[in-house]
Amino acid sequence: MRRSRQAVALIAGLSVIVAAYWLVMNFVENPEISYLPYYTFRTLLRITLTLGVSVAWGVPFGILASTNKTASIILVPTIDLLQSVPILGYFPVIVLFFISLFHGSEIGIELSAMLLLFTSMAWAIFFGVLGAIKGIPVNIIEAAQSFGLTGFKYIRHVVIPAIVPALIFGATLAWCDGWFFMIAAEYVVYLGTTYSVPGLGSYLAKAAYIYNDLNLSVILLILITAIVLYLNFLTWHRLMERAGTGTYKPVVKIGLSGLGKLRVARARWLHLGDRIHRPKSLILASKWLKRYTRMEKAIAVLISLVAVFSVIYLIAGQIPSAEVFYQAFADPEFVNLPIYTALTLGRLGVAYAISLGIALGMGVLAAEHRKFAAIFYPIYDIGQAIPILALFPIFFVFLSRVFGGRLGLEITAIVILVLDMIWYMFLNVVGSVKSIPNEVKEVGRLLGFKGLKRITHIVIPEILPAIVTGSILSWGTGWNTIIFAEYMPYETDRFGGQPLALPGLGSYLDKTGYLPPPKGNPIRLLFLLGVIAAIVLLMEGLVWRRLLRKFEKYRVEV
Amino acid sequence: MTVIETRHVTKTFQLEKSKISVLEDVGFAVGKDEFVCLVGPSGCGKSTLLRIIAGLEHTDSGEVLFHGQPQTSPTPKITMIFQLFGLLPWKTALENVEVGLEVLGMKKEARVEIAKSYLKMVGLEGFENTYPHDLSGGMKQRVGIARALALQPEVLLMDEPFSSLDELTAKTLRLLVLDIWRNSSLPTNTFIMVSHNVEEAVFMADRVIVMSPRPGRIIGEVKVDFPRPRMRYLRDPVFFKYVDEALEILERGR
Repeated sequence: MRRSRQAVALIAGLSVIVAAYWLVMNFVENPEISYLPYYTFRTLLRITLTLGVSVAWGVPFGILASTNKTASIILVPTIDLLQSVPILGYFPVIVLFFISLFHGSEIGIELSAMLLLFTSMAWAIFFGVLGAIKGIPVNIIEAAQSFGLTGFKYIRHVVIPAIVPALIFGATLAWCDGWFFMIAAEYVVYLGTTYSVPGLGSYLAKAAYIYNDLNLSVILLILITAIVLYLNFLTWHRLMERAGTGTYKPVVKIGLSGLGKLRVARARWLHLGDRIHRPKSLILASKWLKRYTRMEKAIAVLISLVAVFSVIYLIAGQIPSAEVFYQAFADPEFVNLPIYTALTLGRLGVAYAISLGIALGMGVLAAEHRKFAAIFYPIYDIGQAIPILALFPIFFVFLSRVFGGRLGLEITAIVILVLDMIWYMFLNVVGSVKSIPNEVKEVGRLLGFKGLKRITHIVIPEILPAIVTGSILSWGTGWNTIIFAEYMPYETDRFGGQPLALPGLGSYLDKTGYLPPPKGNPIRLLFLLGVIAAIVLLMEGLVWRRLLRKFEKYRVEV
Repeated sequence: MTVIETRHVTKTFQLEKSKISVLEDVGFAVGKDEFVCLVGPSGCGKSTLLRIIAGLEHTDSGEVLFHGQPQTSPTPKITMIFQLFGLLPWKTALENVEVGLEVLGMKKEARVEIAKSYLKMVGLEGFENTYPHDLSGGMKQRVGIARALALQPEVLLMDEPFSSLDELTAKTLRLLVLDIWRNSSLPTNTFIMVSHNVEEAVFMADRVIVMSPRPGRIIGEVKVDFPRPRMRYLRDPVFFKYVDEALEILERGR
């Protein structure tokens, strides 16, 4: 019964998409419209292939890092450092490397796009595998040892079954990340030249910037969202549902019933089965923050320094070095760095405050009232399926027509940031409001808390840790988005031949990465990346980690 | 004088497709100064019944009367202590006791003083500024008791208050609760406790009301006519006579 309903839904979904393609291809006028299926195929292939590579890399390295102490000391801190740098920040480095390696041919762009997608996917899978193996209960390890399971047999019978759910969960996140970065990876303006690989992302960018066709961009965005939604329901939800049984812990538990349920949300939320009834995100985050000893951190710093210097060496080897070093800090804009940093932080802060406010309201309402849930969950399902960066060209083309270039870009940046940050907050707020222990709710009612007083005395304190983890996630994704959103190199004709840029750290980094020298400069690029990484790490240490430590005091174990 | 009376209380829970009948035509009365225990197999709806009396749940049909008036929403006159203590983890022991008084609109100094005196009564002097996280299970339940008493209720409801504690701690807290019940200077004098431990029920209650498995109905009552304090009779055959009587009704109900 249920299976047949699923089959009907799948076929219906597919036919809707096919029909949509047919309509678009027959009624939209654009010189490239007949390539639409080919572009779809290329993007799907690109993301799937990269996901495969990420899994093929993540599983063995995850197993290695969790079973071998030396490997763990080297791998874990390195990858942790890499993931704290916004991916779009070092994309110019990747592009630079591959374009010069392949002399600007398409394969170089293709490889750099895939490497960008890989770096966005691989970390999630690596840490998923690592966490799953570390989470194998001691009694199972001991039982396995007493039955003589060692070496490969141990991996085959204990480790692999343990990592499958985490792998599926990590792959889901990686898959979403892939779509998120698709448009940034497929369409690059480097040294004034546009490089693109065939795909839905680059077609959307072209529709917006070259054809200046708002209708086509919107249509493409809807198509992309529909495909993402369809594939999510087709593959990941079913895989996650299946993975929920037969493992050591209920790693992923989701209820698939009707459209508009908070499926991904619940899956993400429950992916760490834990006995403690405090919001799981707190445990997740505090585990993550506590993971390393001072020794490991020192080694990580050392390794990253070596890595940074070898990259510098590689890049500097291609250009006269003394001049490059001189140019790096002689740029007239360089003195503006503090102002740029403040402006970018301001943009992020404004967007964060807006999304926190909205997500808090929506989340509490959705968690407590069925009526609101029926409205907000579908919005969430669709909202998180839209690749946010793909929204950028559409908003920009529309808003720049209304407000002009500069103001249009400013508003676009904020709107995109809000849309990007809000879902992490919403997810965490809903999850934690729902997991408020029943007794706490009853105590609130018995003591007579009502309305706003109940929210401030019972709900907010209870969900604060989840808000903090939501904030960490929001800021993390926000950095990527702002690097993309402050800089507009595509439609130069409309804005006097110059790339349009908002003053800020993100746009300065983009200029440094993509413009010809002396504005573009690999040394300064690395320096700016270091500045961003330092800000990210400082915020983590000074704000988030402190808050989490404070909340830990409240943690009640049953 | 009857303080609490339930009349024909019936309750069903609506699951996604099926209905589960939890309580069926439950009626009993509890008088002033009485200590009544509800016992029954797990899932028989005794906790739901307690929540209906507290005003946390509604009945499908039937009603709960408090001094003859229908009782449908939470009131400070009827408070409750919980199996898992229900403390607010982000508030200290003192603040947890204070919070109910704060809702009633009491001034800061007054409520701190009251909260302190009740913490002292339950033996937690010196732990005012400790967070629940750092308190043992028994101490947490003491805070729960102090918080309930601070509202000066007439009726105290207890939902398996000792079942998540170790036996030694549970024993001490049972005596504490009995002391509070017998303390005539406190307004709190009508106690209703839910338990699945028949010996505990016989030890503490004047009357033990026995419920059937789901849907919960009242299938019998044991009047424990036994002198207090009962501590020294715990090995007495008469004590076990009451226990066996209650167990027999439970067995028959299955």
